[in-house]
Amino acid sequence: MTTPVERDQSTERPTVGAPFEAARRTPPAGPADRTAAATSHVLLTFGAVLVVVPFLWVFVSSFKTTKEILASPFSLPADPSLANYATAWTDAGIGRYFLNTIVVVGCALFFVMMLGALTAYVLARFRFPGNKVIYNLMLAGLTFPVFLAIVPLFFVLRNAGLLNTLPGLIVTYVAFAFPFTVFFLYSFFRGLPHEVAEAAQVDGAGEWRTFFQIMLPMARPGMASVAIFNFLGLWNQFLLPVALNTDTDNYVLTQGMAQFASQAGYAVDFGALYAGVVMTVLPVLVVYVFFQRRLQGSVAQGTFR
Amino acid sequence: MATVTFDKATRVYPGTERPAVDQLDLHIEDGEFLVLVGPSGCGKSTSLRMLAGLEDVNGGAILIGDRDVTDVQPKDRDIAMVFQNYALYPHMSVADNMGFALKIAGTPKAEIRQRVEEAAKILDLTEYLDRKPKALSGGQRQRVAMGRAIVRQPQVFLMDEPLSNLDAKLRVQTRTQIASLQRRLGVTTVYVTHDQTEALTMGDRIAVLSAGVLQQVGTPREMYDKPANVFVAGFIGSPAMNIGTFDVTDGKAQVGGASITLDRAVADGITPADGGRVTLGFRPESLDVVSSGSEGAFEVDVTLVEELGSDAFVYGTLKNGGDLHAGDSNQVIVRIDPRNVPDKGDTISVTIKPEQTHAFSAATGERLG
Repeated sequence: MTTPVERDQSTERPTVGAPFEAARRTPPAGPADRTAAATSHVLLTFGAVLVVVPFLWVFVSSFKTTKEILASPFSLPADPSLANYATAWTDAGIGRYFLNTIVVVGCALFFVMMLGALTAYVLARFRFPGNKVIYNLMLAGLTFPVFLAIVPLFFVLRNAGLLNTLPGLIVTYVAFAFPFTVFFLYSFFRGLPHEVAEAAQVDGAGEWRTFFQIMLPMARPGMASVAIFNFLGLWNQFLLPVALNTDTDNYVLTQGMAQFASQAGYAVDFGALYAGVVMTVLPVLVVYVFFQRRLQGSVAQGTFR
Repeated sequence: MATVTFDKATRVYPGTERPAVDQLDLHIEDGEFLVLVGPSGCGKSTSLRMLAGLEDVNGGAILIGDRDVTDVQPKDRDIAMVFQNYALYPHMSVADNMGFALKIAGTPKAEIRQRVEEAAKILDLTEYLDRKPKALSGGQRQRVAMGRAIVRQPQVFLMDEPLSNLDAKLRVQTRTQIASLQRRLGVTTVYVTHDQTEALTMGDRIAVLSAGVLQQVGTPREMYDKPANVFVAGFIGSPAMNIGTFDVTDGKAQVGGASITLDRAVADGITPADGGRVTLGFRPESLDVVSSGSEGAFEVDVTLVEELGSDAFVYGTLKNGGDLHAGDSNQVIVRIDPRNVPDKGDTISVTIKPEQTHAFSAATGERLG
């Protein structure tokens, strides 16, 4: 069985060279293709520069003193130090705000993903009276402008005793991220092959086990992308905390940064401000890079032919 | 091991009038390999899914052994199913896929490992146990799906067109493997396919369904030799049987200029509702090529000759007009000697071999005689 195959390869290798193979697989690019490629590369490079350069400048400047920044904005730091980071972290309270943000966004993310996945799964895979109504209510929730809800929310939270507290903010975040999460995961769960769920049923799994051990792992790419969107949205949330979370001790990063930038008037400590900016942006970058890998690769490859 | 009984089992999908499966009565013996076959939409998959518990039963009952499982959850039926697209768990390794049911049942880890390895050995999957399904070929995935079913040692295997995603060569090979595996394990198996060749080659018995109604159950030989009605006659056999409806005068059917004497029993079976007509069927191999002008011969204009090496088939039309066709085509098919093949455009004379005519009522399509 194996001998003829080996012989085949040994006779083929010298005669059919790699360049020939390559040439056969990819036809030579025409001039039109090359123009398109060049144009898109130029545009993409321009876009990348537009985003990366300011951030790099902030990053470099965060190691300089305010005086240095104002005197020679584009020079490298003469005496790079982490002093600005220490100032921002302790004196400006970024450390505390950072912790608050992690707690609020972390908890909100956990609850909204959990509840969202359960809701979307049930809406997508089970038929029951009112199914469509609930789903359409979710869609309506998507179109609801946050500004309209601010004042009622204020009173609701105050009556519940949750105004100016982190749990109050968490609950609000969950509520606002919920419709989008359900909307996104709904179509995702619909797209999953239902034979797999049936196979699990036949194998003896109940509904809960089918969800947690089969369907949820299969929905991982969808969960990851929704989690990214939610994380970005909640991490950068400003309006809700400003309105519902006015206690300085409970400030989240966005509020802290705004306060930091505005309280000093014209005497801003730019070095420390930039250090704060870097610390605020870094987690977002890390999360994005980490999750990006998970976004790639499709779902359910094994179930299709 | 167990028997399976469908007792007037009926399934009506919500929002439809006609039942997808209409009062199915079927008894499957312990250890038997039964094939449900029929064209798409005939209710064969629905019947299987009713047995699996994945589809509600709107009337009648389903029994596994002596136990009425009509309202029992799939997980409590002690069945294993192989799906058309295999439905493997994409995030689990082959071993975990195969052992999932045992894990849920609380089987000790060592025993799971042992049973998975045994099944893997039978199916030639040992070296792939740690792979994910996406890293397997179609044939290997199919075997994993089979493995997932056999490690459970269930009472009944259910297979829903498990070969339809394989290429033709692999399908033939896997067909015999599944059939011999089933015989070795002796587990009652219900197998759904739309491919009548698969049905004839694999099943101990075949059940033909059409439009949700059971047409006939029997051994492959019975189905081939004595189809109960026109539908089964046209469905079973490849190439398909030639079937046409002809006028009857004096107990003789007028087929393309030839008079074919009908059996006494057939002639007596013709009712006024048939309007003096009878439906006749004869398989391509039941026709003999004869010299023109022979007794009882009719002429066929050759439009195409298909040579298969061991066989050759002539496709043509009745020269003297008349409605006679095989399957969905509008042509007559005649098996001929591959060493003596007519040309396209020729006319050949054929007679029907004695005792090889199937007669059906023109009105009801039921077998006569």
